[in-house]
Amino acid sequence: MEPLKAVLFEPVGCLAEFPPEPFHEIAVRLYGRKGKGSKSASRSYWHLLNLMESSAGGSIEALEIEAADGASVYEDVLPALVELRTMGVRCIITTSLSNAAAVRFLEKCPHEFDAVWTRENAHGIKAAPLARALEAACLAPDNAMFLTDTAEGLHVAKGLGINAVLMMNDPDEAMRLALRDPSGGIVSLHELPDFIRLVAAQNARALT
Amino acid sequence: MKKISIYRPTSVDEAMQILSQHGKQAGVYAGGTDLLVRLKNRLEQAPTYLVDIKRIDNLRYIKEDGQGGVQIGAATKLAEMADSELLQKRYPMLVEAVHKISSPELRNVSTLGGDLLQEVWCQYLRGGYSCWRNGGHLCYGAIGDNSYYHSAMGGRLCYAVYPGDAAVALIPYDARVKLATPTGPKELTLEQLVPGDLLVDGRIQSHVVRFNEILTEVTLPPPKSGLRASFEKLRPRGVWDFAMASLALSLQVNGNTIEDSRVVFGGIAGKPLREHAVENLLRGKTLSADLGNQAAAVALTNAAPLKYNATKIDMAKGLLASGLAKLNGAA
Repeated sequence: MEPLKAVLFEPVGCLAEFPPEPFHEIAVRLYGRKGKGSKSASRSYWHLLNLMESSAGGSIEALEIEAADGASVYEDVLPALVELRTMGVRCIITTSLSNAAAVRFLEKCPHEFDAVWTRENAHGIKAAPLARALEAACLAPDNAMFLTDTAEGLHVAKGLGINAVLMMNDPDEAMRLALRDPSGGIVSLHELPDFIRLVAAQNARALT
Repeated sequence: MKKISIYRPTSVDEAMQILSQHGKQAGVYAGGTDLLVRLKNRLEQAPTYLVDIKRIDNLRYIKEDGQGGVQIGAATKLAEMADSELLQKRYPMLVEAVHKISSPELRNVSTLGGDLLQEVWCQYLRGGYSCWRNGGHLCYGAIGDNSYYHSAMGGRLCYAVYPGDAAVALIPYDARVKLATPTGPKELTLEQLVPGDLLVDGRIQSHVVRFNEILTEVTLPPPKSGLRASFEKLRPRGVWDFAMASLALSLQVNGNTIEDSRVVFGGIAGKPLREHAVENLLRGKTLSADLGNQAAAVALTNAAPLKYNATKIDMAKGLLASGLAKLNGAA
């Protein structure tokens, strides 16, 4: 793995526990989704993104904001972000949420991110915010990692050549996703600085 | 198995030179009960150049230090420690612990240094998974079967437990270790030697020994009078297995009052886990039948078990209660 200079964060499932219901509700109202929604906000969210992508449809911003309002930032997030900043690692939000929902989320996560890319300023969902983030920051894909806890997230990041790193929130789901050949995995955000340090050390070791 | 080269130096200095020459591709080879298994399991992280230290004369001994303490050479076999009358007389809990390491056959080969510095025995690492200790960037133990070999006290990238018993049993005696390094000898406490997962020379390991350093000796200070100690170990089978939880406990007792103590858990964390909260509770207390319950109540409050190993915390607390009961009756 190349030295990591930036971490791209999808807030849903990686920085905070979001309620799944608003995403499921959007899928029901706009795309006729039937049945019970997933208990996982990440799965509901990425499923919604799949629906939006396949039918070139939109979302319901009020419900996204409701999801952001109901989000609970993981306790290990802010200390990790501060440590990453001191290490000189760029932290960038790359989300398919709307601008308004992202702003509402950032009120709960008071950290000065290096950039925030949403579906609106990136002009697209899923891969678009990641691609814009790389482009704007002049980053090579293999110098960046994207944290994700879904198969779709892994697929999107790998498609762009970005290191797809599993956020292993649910052990059983993580074990299944580990079979999809992620670039790595962490159990908690507090491990992220060590992850990046170790990759740097491994690169230095390879040179000696 | 990959091709390996074996060096057989006759002095510590020569061994260090070879280790320095080959960098992180080299590793110290003594008993081989850990190293050879890693090679046979084709682990990427296993060394290519083995530096066999068995021909170095002055690394295998158990002797008095002239001040009431004892020095043990790092290449001393565990069986020799288990059979040592000197150790039995002065540090019986250490001998009790050594008797519970692995099996008699393996103790005939394994060395004290090897036990202290052994690699973790996570089934995913040993099975060749591309985990943090084997060239990868993911801990399979954190998300897979973590009922046995993994930490119930949190982790730092790798969630495997530190597997050694000797370090756990040496801490209550305030033992220290000596390292030979290219810049001169270094002395550390056992807690400093094995602080848990950390990055050393670009790799994750449980101990602080660098690629070109050699553990040479363990020193034990004179035993204090009034010291009572016990070692307890829970494992799936009576021999061979590693601890699911273990406890080395020492109490410095005056009359029936505990003046000082050491409480060290093994098998539940990435290091021998000294539980200062219990030590603080015990200080000044009178030995009594209820003390075990009080101690268990304050022990391991920051536990962070994984999906399948919360029972390790119950085991450890049970060992604490039974250890205190044992020492209460050992007047």
